[in-house]
Amino acid sequence: MRLALTLATLLLMALSAGAQAPPIRIGFASAMSGPAAITGEGVKWGATLAIEEINAKGGVGGRKLEAYFADNKAQPGEAVSAVRKLADVDQVDVIIGQTHSGACLGAMPVVKEIGLPMVIEACSHPKIREMSGKGGNEWTFRVALDDEIMAYTFARYMARQGVKSASILAMNNDFGRGAAIAYDAGFKKANVKLLSTEFFDPGQPDYRPVLTRLKRANPETILAVILASDGAPFMRQFRELGLTQKVFSRGSLGTAEFLYQVRDNPKIGDGVVEASYWITGLDPEWDKKWTERYKVPPRIHGSLSAITLKWAVVPAIEIALKKTGKADRQSIRAALEEVDVKDSPLGPIKFDDHHQAWINMILIEVRDGELKILEKVPTSPALLN
Amino acid sequence: MGAISGPPCDPDLILDIFEQLLHGVTLGAMYAMVAAGLALMLGVARLINFAHGEFFMLGAYAFWFGYSELGLPYPLAALLAPAVMVLFGIAYQRTVIRAILPRSWHVQLIATLATSIVMTNLAIIVFGTQPKEVPTALSSRVLDVGGFRMVWQRLLVLAASLLIFWGLNRFVARTRTGRAMRAMSQNREACAVVGVDVQRTAMITFALSAALAAAAAALVSPLFNIFPDMGTTLTLKAFAAVVAGGFGYVNGAIAASFLIGLTEALAGSYVSYAYKDAIAFLIMIAVLLWRPQGLFGRRIGI
Amino acid sequence: MRRAGWLALGVFVVTVPWLLSAAVPRQQRYILHVLIFTAIFAALALSYDLVVGHVGSLSLAHPAFFGIGAYTAAILATRAEWPFLAGVLGAVIAAALVAAMVGVPLFRLAEHAFAVGTLGLALVTSVVANNWVEVTRGPLCVTGIPKPRLGPLAITTLPAFYWLALAALVAVALFYRGLTTFRLGRAFHAVRDNEPLAGAAGVDPLKYRLLAFTLAAAIAGGIGALYAHYLSVMCPEEMTVSLTVNLLVIVFLGGVGSLRGVLLGAVLFTALPEVLRLAPTWRLVIYGGLLLLVVIRSPGGLESLLRRTAGAR
Repeated sequence: MRLALTLATLLLMALSAGAQAPPIRIGFASAMSGPAAITGEGVKWGATLAIEEINAKGGVGGRKLEAYFADNKAQPGEAVSAVRKLADVDQVDVIIGQTHSGACLGAMPVVKEIGLPMVIEACSHPKIREMSGKGGNEWTFRVALDDEIMAYTFARYMARQGVKSASILAMNNDFGRGAAIAYDAGFKKANVKLLSTEFFDPGQPDYRPVLTRLKRANPETILAVILASDGAPFMRQFRELGLTQKVFSRGSLGTAEFLYQVRDNPKIGDGVVEASYWITGLDPEWDKKWTERYKVPPRIHGSLSAITLKWAVVPAIEIALKKTGKADRQSIRAALEEVDVKDSPLGPIKFDDHHQAWINMILIEVRDGELKILEKVPTSPALLN
Repeated sequence: MGAISGPPCDPDLILDIFEQLLHGVTLGAMYAMVAAGLALMLGVARLINFAHGEFFMLGAYAFWFGYSELGLPYPLAALLAPAVMVLFGIAYQRTVIRAILPRSWHVQLIATLATSIVMTNLAIIVFGTQPKEVPTALSSRVLDVGGFRMVWQRLLVLAASLLIFWGLNRFVARTRTGRAMRAMSQNREACAVVGVDVQRTAMITFALSAALAAAAAALVSPLFNIFPDMGTTLTLKAFAAVVAGGFGYVNGAIAASFLIGLTEALAGSYVSYAYKDAIAFLIMIAVLLWRPQGLFGRRIGI
Repeated sequence: MRRAGWLALGVFVVTVPWLLSAAVPRQQRYILHVLIFTAIFAALALSYDLVVGHVGSLSLAHPAFFGIGAYTAAILATRAEWPFLAGVLGAVIAAALVAAMVGVPLFRLAEHAFAVGTLGLALVTSVVANNWVEVTRGPLCVTGIPKPRLGPLAITTLPAFYWLALAALVAVALFYRGLTTFRLGRAFHAVRDNEPLAGAAGVDPLKYRLLAFTLAAAIAGGIGALYAHYLSVMCPEEMTVSLTVNLLVIVFLGGVGSLRGVLLGAVLFTALPEVLRLAPTWRLVIYGGLLLLVVIRSPGGLESLLRRTAGAR
């Protein structure tokens, strides 16, 4: 009798456990180690916070979300490993990643081979747009804007401000090199003369030689393709040498993170104008939660991952659940093509035939230790002409 | 390319070159302080320490901790760094070094490379990946002499390093420990016979080497920033300087370091900024091709 | 090992992905991917061991030859549209040529200077790969490297690539075995163990070190070509100085100078982290700690541990 009762209880427990719908697994791939590890750290923080937020509200369609992380070391080879690990070992239903263009390009063929949807939150290579979508790689989607889109727009903005000549200073990685090519073309179209292009290794903090090279080339403006952690020593040394060029930037100079690095003397950043698609203040609730939890200002890559999750992937899961009752890889992929969010913090999220979302571009000015939005530019394919 | 125009004696050009020279000398001073410690260990204790750059990195974090977290005034924080690293150096010597000192230099290289990896990654775990900025009063105030601008901190780096090198030479030449160090670098076996305390001298040399790296870090951190990976390239360049200067010859390493710093600044500014970090090794390779035993020839002793 | 033993081992190794995926279903592709990497790194480590273990020269330049081979094959395949095997041959020759050229001045240097010199070579080639964009495309990488074709056979699936990598590993292992036994092997070991005596006995140390160095570089170049074709992209980050660290860990943990040891080291080094699933930074701390312990306490690595337990019985 007792044995029968025990068996019955166990059976009931097993049944009820099975009756709870399994969680939906979201994979996040970024640079968790190596020189670019700071981006992966941000992604991990952002993803964790976002998933907690969603689960606290009951999940999506009654199902909880689970986060899985993989390290792509900002390299295409490792990105392949990261995707396979998330796909096969962690059995994720969708990936958000890869933050770095080289890693994105390496991962794209693999997600197609496996049949796993990947929503890109930050890679900026124009090729990604060319290769994705109907007739190409149907498994990759991108929320971020690429350098071609931004370069044409930004260069035209600079020309409207009366700029006649510029020099580029860019990180010597896939992001910087890709941006340099895009802005070379963009400047040509906008009739801004490109006097010189210099590259620096991220992490090396001695900018004096290149600043003197820039001084010698004597451009009116400098376009700095640089992240906040390098941007701080760069701007300090820029001020030290007394250069007077206007600095336009593309990276993360126009961020709270940069302001935090120069908080001893915020005037160091004055006058920098950055072209971006994210800024603190787009979602004040999020900023507050981040600062309370992590004790530092919100980071760009972590926030982008979170926004991609909340305003692109979650709506897709909802659509998939409604249509098919399932949130597996195929249904999420199909659902992503139907996502139509009008008011995410980044702007409208709707994937076109190239699976590209045309979010807003923001021009940010750094002044007196604060960030000011100068212009919010809605984007569309027409900008590429 | 927008090059400087004007006749050859154009004051702008002279100013420009002078600026690069001064910058190169400051860079060289930083490399020299690190390379001197490395050469010291090689000369006195025959030790290859591939983790030397990490002493610089940890010294920088010790400085940051004293300056930013504890709020100590700059001179105190700058002295705290070498003090902490002396203690760390002694601990490192008692554990890792003692185990590898009698072994072949292959073992030493690999063992110290391994500790370098451990220290770098522990630093990432403890301090995080975001670089730390430590601007000081001197690194924020600009000295402007007729269009030539640099922050006062660079002068401090130069002055302090010259003082340190002078002090180091006096120490090695005049004190008992210094003489013991020289003796050990010339003939280690004879030292034990003659009554030199080999263990103690080795330990002091190691502590001194760590202190030099930490002092360099405390001087230079306000100009740049602090991050866990900062020691890696520095180790490589310091080794390049030590090899070019003649293995184990301290003043040779110092001279080679200044050569590297100057060439980096000049080539970085006039030739190519992107290839700047390869310069140290190109110099070393060139020197080795021309004089395989180093710039100053085969010398006995430090 | 007896013939039956070799046969059994062969069958096991060829089918191990399917055996493993029987245990963990749905992970087959990932397992294949890890095993391909293992085979590639094992072959690379064997070539490195030729220099470090068998002639005793601590070269830190191996990533340079791996990278030169990989880029040569990548560029030949994408720009000149050479067939796969021709590209691999080109890679092997390019790496060997560079090794022979730099080896002559390098081996004239005293030992410490040699190590730092090879480090310099690795660094300079890495910087060149990253900045010579006209040829290597720098950080934008050489992309679109086609899948290998062996005559009519196209290697497009993961299992096919696994067998190709395995075949390469077997070839390298046989070559390694041949080079390190018989008279040539004895000459190498003589140079490693007692250079002056070897010289007195008529074995020119310079010649033999250079030979080992060049052959090792040639193999590394070939493996690099295979790697580039597997990933279908080749970036400068794949040939940085940190690759040397990985190779040192494999060789020293496994057992320097021993075929079985290096193979074991490669399996442990590539497969174990996947099983352990540690955070990447902690993983590096553990590697460093392990390398330190092994090199101090048990420089013969696992191989010597295995020998000791076998001998103790």
